[in-house]
Amino acid sequence: MQSSNKPVQAGSSFEGFRMPAVFTVSAILAGFAVEWFTSGSGLAVPGWPANFLFLVFLAVVIAIVGLKFRDRPLVSWLGGIPLGLSLIIGLALLSLIGGVVPQDPAKPDSLASMLRLNGMFSSWPFAFVTLLFLFNLGLSFVWKTIPFRVANLQFILFHGGFWIALSCGLLGSSDLQRLIIPLYEGQESSVAYEMPTERPVHIPYSIYLKEFEIDEYVPQFALYDPETDRVIADKSKIVPEVKKGVKADWPGIATVTVLEFLPSAIPDSSGKPVFAPDRKGVSFARVRIIEGEKSSEEWICAGGPEIRPRFVPVGKYFLGMMDGQPKAFRSHVMVKGASGERRTEVLEVNKPIDFHGWKLYQMGYDEKAGKWSSLSLVEAVNDPWLPSVYCGFFMIMAGNLLYFWKGVKKMEEV
Amino acid sequence: MTLNEFPLIALATIACWSLGSVLQIPARKSKAFDGISWLFFVSGTMVLVWFLVSYWIALERPPLRTLGETRLWYATLIPVVGFLVEYRWKIKWLKYYCLGLASFFLGINVMYPDVFQKALMPALQSVWFIPHVVVYLVSYVLLAASSVSGWHNVLLNVRGKRSTLSESMSHYLALLGFVLLTFGLVFGALWAKEAWGHYWTWDPKETWAFISWLAYLGYLHLVARKTDPRSLQWYLGLAFIVLLVCWFGVNYLPSAQNSVHTYSG
Ligand code: HEM
Repeated sequence: MQSSNKPVQAGSSFEGFRMPAVFTVSAILAGFAVEWFTSGSGLAVPGWPANFLFLVFLAVVIAIVGLKFRDRPLVSWLGGIPLGLSLIIGLALLSLIGGVVPQDPAKPDSLASMLRLNGMFSSWPFAFVTLLFLFNLGLSFVWKTIPFRVANLQFILFHGGFWIALSCGLLGSSDLQRLIIPLYEGQESSVAYEMPTERPVHIPYSIYLKEFEIDEYVPQFALYDPETDRVIADKSKIVPEVKKGVKADWPGIATVTVLEFLPSAIPDSSGKPVFAPDRKGVSFARVRIIEGEKSSEEWICAGGPEIRPRFVPVGKYFLGMMDGQPKAFRSHVMVKGASGERRTEVLEVNKPIDFHGWKLYQMGYDEKAGKWSSLSLVEAVNDPWLPSVYCGFFMIMAGNLLYFWKGVKKMEEV
Repeated sequence: MTLNEFPLIALATIACWSLGSVLQIPARKSKAFDGISWLFFVSGTMVLVWFLVSYWIALERPPLRTLGETRLWYATLIPVVGFLVEYRWKIKWLKYYCLGLASFFLGINVMYPDVFQKALMPALQSVWFIPHVVVYLVSYVLLAASSVSGWHNVLLNVRGKRSTLSESMSHYLALLGFVLLTFGLVFGALWAKEAWGHYWTWDPKETWAFISWLAYLGYLHLVARKTDPRSLQWYLGLAFIVLLVCWFGVNYLPSAQNSVHTYSG
């Protein structure tokens, strides 16, 4: 308990973990009861401005209760560590359910669905425990902040930061918009889709996709065993890359050397591969295969939408090559605002762009078409609460640094 | 350097560590033996560091993607914690646990070799990749050490040989581990925002990271409430189980079938 509080009398019901535990369990059970009677419909956080008003209300109530009634045993119990600990454990247990039970739609009359175990983080028990958690955390925060002392700074940053991040993250979730915008090369679009409902939404800007491109890793050899439906690893356990001069050895089966590699080619009329511009061709390799005494030279190819892959039989196996995995993919786009403003941008994974409060992400493409995809999926995210959540994160990190520093200093005294 | 040479490297490392450990017996009486013994301990670790660096170069990406690769880091870092603890608190036994654990990890990697795979999916190509994973790694290493020493302290208490020094050691290991765990969690959220569009989606990996963070948060508040340190040793010993689930158990949970973060391999 805080040193500034009156000591709680020994033997009173406000001491120890029994009461906090009973209280926490009751809150959880009450939450599950609500779920049961509403067939697991969960709670929908209200949107702006109701969520904001609720947050302000909560903060004001906590401040008043904390400052006016801090000497009441009930209030110091409400803001004390024993209750905090019970709620931490309660939150951990509910998260545990949410971390084990798949958080996907389940059969409507199943137990998981009736109790909303499959939607734990928008369920009533979770909401009750979080609300109490915020209350408890908030009280301890108020007491450590007023009157202010520099020695409490670490506590203030840690607890205040977590309070802000948790409350704003959860209450702001209803104002979060995540939309998917399918774009086709050479076309412009201002229609986005809400997931998972696939409801179309008009966005206040449009995006024109000039070009979508994928870089791939080097293609790889594959020695395929049709009997086991597996690819066999070579001696080095390296997935052998198809590059000029590379030698792969499958002991007892064959040794293969790459004599020539064409990253982008198409077969001419005689079947011999010749160079072709980037988007048209596929990768070809001329290889020497040595099987025991026998040596041969062959072309293999990974294939593409219009060109069939080429395999070479090697004993009971087949030697072929697979396109490398995608290394990077990006969309060259032009974003046009409602006011006529135009911006040329490149969207790439991990490199989102900002446009009038929206963040645009390169999300995906037509994976069946692979590097020939002319479809690019862009995600548009609008999260008005993000700055407050980040403020919480940075407070936590600042508190964390102080904690580290204090910890190291204390450690030196041991 | 590739995985072909790895069994040899692992053998050399374990041999160095074992020799160092054996030499600790005469080292009790002789400073010279102590010096030689430490030479072996450090050499064993240096061999691993050397492998890690050359493997990194050969892969052309940080070796931080698969479970096997993270085990390699644990095997390198856990003994370092044991050595530092001895330097700081003059507690000798922790390093043997650490060396044992590290050798166990090396053994797993020899028996189940990874595939040498240079590919790094686009989502992992980020400035956050190394800080996020390394901070988590070091945190896990410290928390593993705190858990081991928690168990050791439990045993000491059972035999009536309580050591408050070693209790404060496990506390500080847990404290440093928690600090890094917190950074790892927040870095992960910041990265997720850049890579996946949102900082928190209650993906199973994230949920378990949150649970393990709560477990150690609970520990710190028990400490703040002046709980008997002897009971806390049990807590530290058990808390690591949660971390283990988070590290690789998550992959086997029913909830994880569509997780974006599970390690492959
Ligand atoms: C359930 C709500 C919580 C309550 C009631 C609570 C209350 C407290 C109290 C009273 C202390 C002791 C301070 C002192 O002795 O000076 C403390 C310490 C601490 N709290 Fe919390 N806390 C809560 C949640 C959190 C959260 C969410 C975090 C992390 C973001 C956190 C991080 C810490 C840390 C790092 C310490 C320092 C422990 C130490 O000094 O050994 N707490 N907390």
